[in-house]
Amino acid sequence: MTLGLLASRALRSSRPINSPTTFLRTIISTPELHNNTSSAAAVADTPPPPPPDRTPVGGARVHFANPDDAIEVFVDGFPVKIPKGMTVLQACEVAGVDIPRFCYHNRLSIAGNCRMCLVEVEKSPKPVASCAMPALPGMKIKTDTPIAKKAREGVMEFLLMNHPLDCPICDQGGECDLQDQSMAFGSDRGRFTEVKRSVVDKNLGPLVKTVMTRCIQCTRCVRFATEIAGVQDLGMLGRGSGEEIGTYVEKLMTSELSGNVIDICPVGALTSKPFAFKARNWELKGTESIDVTDAVGSNIRIDSRGPEVMRIVPRLNEDINEEWISDKTRFCYDGLKRQRLNDPMIRDADGRFKTVSWRDALAVVAEAFHQVKPTEIVGVAGKLSDAESMMALKDLLNKMGSNNVWCEGNGLNVNADLRSGYLLNSGISGLENADLFLLVGTQPRVEAAMVNARIRKTVLATQAKVGYVGPPADLNYNHEHLGTGPEVLTQIAEGRHPFSSLLKNAKNPAIVVGAGIFERKDKDAIFSVVEAIAKQGNAIRPDWNGLNILLLNAAQAAALDLGLVPEADNSLETAKFVYLMGADDVNLEKLPSDAFVVYQGHHGDRGVYRANVILPAAAFSEKEGIYVNTEGYVQQTLPAVPTVGDAREDWKIIRALSEVAGVPLPYDTVGAVRSRMSTVAPHLLNLDEREPTTFTAEVKPKCSEKMSKDPFTNVVENFYMTDAITRASKIMAQCSALLSKK
Amino acid sequence: MAFTMRAVKVPPNSVSLEEARTRTFEFFKSACRSIPTVMEIYNLYDVVTPSQLRSNIAAQFRKNAHITNTKVIDMLLFKGMEELGDVVEHAKQRHHIIGQYVVGHHGLSQDSGTKDEGASDFLKNFYKTNYF
Repeated sequence: MTLGLLASRALRSSRPINSPTTFLRTIISTPELHNNTSSAAAVADTPPPPPPDRTPVGGARVHFANPDDAIEVFVDGFPVKIPKGMTVLQACEVAGVDIPRFCYHNRLSIAGNCRMCLVEVEKSPKPVASCAMPALPGMKIKTDTPIAKKAREGVMEFLLMNHPLDCPICDQGGECDLQDQSMAFGSDRGRFTEVKRSVVDKNLGPLVKTVMTRCIQCTRCVRFATEIAGVQDLGMLGRGSGEEIGTYVEKLMTSELSGNVIDICPVGALTSKPFAFKARNWELKGTESIDVTDAVGSNIRIDSRGPEVMRIVPRLNEDINEEWISDKTRFCYDGLKRQRLNDPMIRDADGRFKTVSWRDALAVVAEAFHQVKPTEIVGVAGKLSDAESMMALKDLLNKMGSNNVWCEGNGLNVNADLRSGYLLNSGISGLENADLFLLVGTQPRVEAAMVNARIRKTVLATQAKVGYVGPPADLNYNHEHLGTGPEVLTQIAEGRHPFSSLLKNAKNPAIVVGAGIFERKDKDAIFSVVEAIAKQGNAIRPDWNGLNILLLNAAQAAALDLGLVPEADNSLETAKFVYLMGADDVNLEKLPSDAFVVYQGHHGDRGVYRANVILPAAAFSEKEGIYVNTEGYVQQTLPAVPTVGDAREDWKIIRALSEVAGVPLPYDTVGAVRSRMSTVAPHLLNLDEREPTTFTAEVKPKCSEKMSKDPFTNVVENFYMTDAITRASKIMAQCSALLSKK
Repeated sequence: MAFTMRAVKVPPNSVSLEEARTRTFEFFKSACRSIPTVMEIYNLYDVVTPSQLRSNIAAQFRKNAHITNTKVIDMLLFKGMEELGDVVEHAKQRHHIIGQYVVGHHGLSQDSGTKDEGASDFLKNFYKTNYF
């Protein structure tokens, strides 16, 4: 410390000699620096005060794999035990000291170029960048000494030199790291009189707006793109004051995770294009909810203002999405404002829809209910249905005497007996323990972007091998394309394929089967081959279950948990009454033309074209509903905004209809529906818990079916438009026009 | 038409139920007689018909049909006369009339039929709103 003090004193004293003009203004907002050294020495001599009782920053925890690896460092005189290899900044976080930083991000590699995290370390001649300096045993770190403060102040001054003063028109205003830290650590006046540099804005596509003059070159976005998203689109061009972030040639950022650069940008250089100039963050009400556009169930926060969803941002959940979300999750929200159904409607004789009251609409549906035979009644739950409404739909149809109810995407004769037969048994975070992946008929990058990010993370960290069976795909990690059809699986299972030796040597092999296989005729045969492969690779053990199914839709797992499995295979071909609960992708071509179709849903999408009656329902942002994600993790959405028009929650519509039809369901409140659910699937009430599977496929009977030669097909044609909400979204339409790989 | 009820001071209490009954009928008649004026001054032709207004007034009377205490009936009569005076003297505005006597407390008055009789509370609430 003495050395550092002396150095800075020497610097300061030399300045008036070098520039003897009277015009010079000096800024000293840290008067304690001017104290003579004797007082500093006196402070050092006195015994340190008792350590302050501080809690770690952001719940930072230390895990000692090996007790010998623990080292002790002193942060502001307070001893703290950390594992070897931690950086000074991490040690400070464990000690409860928050170090200001711009370039450091704990999920990205260390750059050390912003210099904001400078702290003083005893016996070091200069302040050190704490994010890049490994902590050494006995290190004495000082975070609030005059030198550290002076260093931060100087860094802030340099950063603000070329940063425009446009906070009032900047979308980051109010949640800007630079704004906050310049208030906390910056100088109270400026001495900048020259001209600020300006940088040409880059066009990164329809999602990310750039104002590159605001960029402070922290390179977080570059590191995110190369490390997490796996696209080499962004980079740093030029040196010194000409340094800028860009896409070397004029091109768009084509990643399914590109929206996350908006969150990690510490300034307003990268902001959300759809959200630009729409709202200030302090006007928004945040609702902690979950995403339903895929089966991952990413944790999100829905920011709303009044009745309007303004934006969707990620919420931290280490087990599912870490702190990222896919672009579809983040930007689908404008679909919630378009194409909405807001009134009950009945189709007239001339084919036009007429708005009616709920009373009339339910009466018409109830009458049609009673005009058909029970076996001719069919119910289909949609991709976005919550567990409560699916429970109510199944109960209603069972009371009417029909058991032909299923959830779209699950296929017709899916095996719902064994929970392990339709879940991602390893768990999303558990995939990090795998050392070999075999992807069968699935493209995680478009089917479940967050699972793909997890696989990529594992592949980068452990050099895990990836084998892929399916149509040619663009996976953003090293993989071996083994073939397109299921015959490759037979070869692997019989040990005739070079990949089977890799499989035998792997410790924790993870086989991921896509849910698109559910729709194939020969799915039982494929599953039995995959089980043979799993047995061969010893993938199912008490400590590791590596046989995974990757589902496609948010409703699938809960539907199978609740037993929404149709009785007859071809019930749609003979149906006279079809109840579509948000089901838009079910194939209605074979449906008889005199069938009565009820569509209950929130968007005027494909299902509406054939409907006779429309019952408007609430979207996921407007209701409380339980969803189970692909690994069996139970979560619920919470209402962020009121319902549109005269819409009602899904289970309430079915409950009301049941009473009008004369078969009242015995629940009036959401709690009663849930207690009914608990009698069917008790784990559905354990919110934010993952219910692992118990039995595995070994107890399944042998399959005698023949496997067909048909190659696997693409299940998701367009990543950006998969369900009613995303198909109604203008932003998603722009994305699929500009960013989809052709 | 100037409303003369204002000048009249509070009448003495009814001595018997018979007298209270006669007074009530008198008041009902005077309310019905003022309906054309009300339709005129609040311009209600496109939202309601005189007969609908009349049945609404009758419904308000029937709401208190069970009361037998003459003092209470007198009090209710007084309140009703005051309200009628306010309406006829244009002391109210158009939306007051529409809100109180046309739309009613339970949504549009034409919705409140006898169809829901026997329905559960859930269904009655369901027809009204999503939030219950």
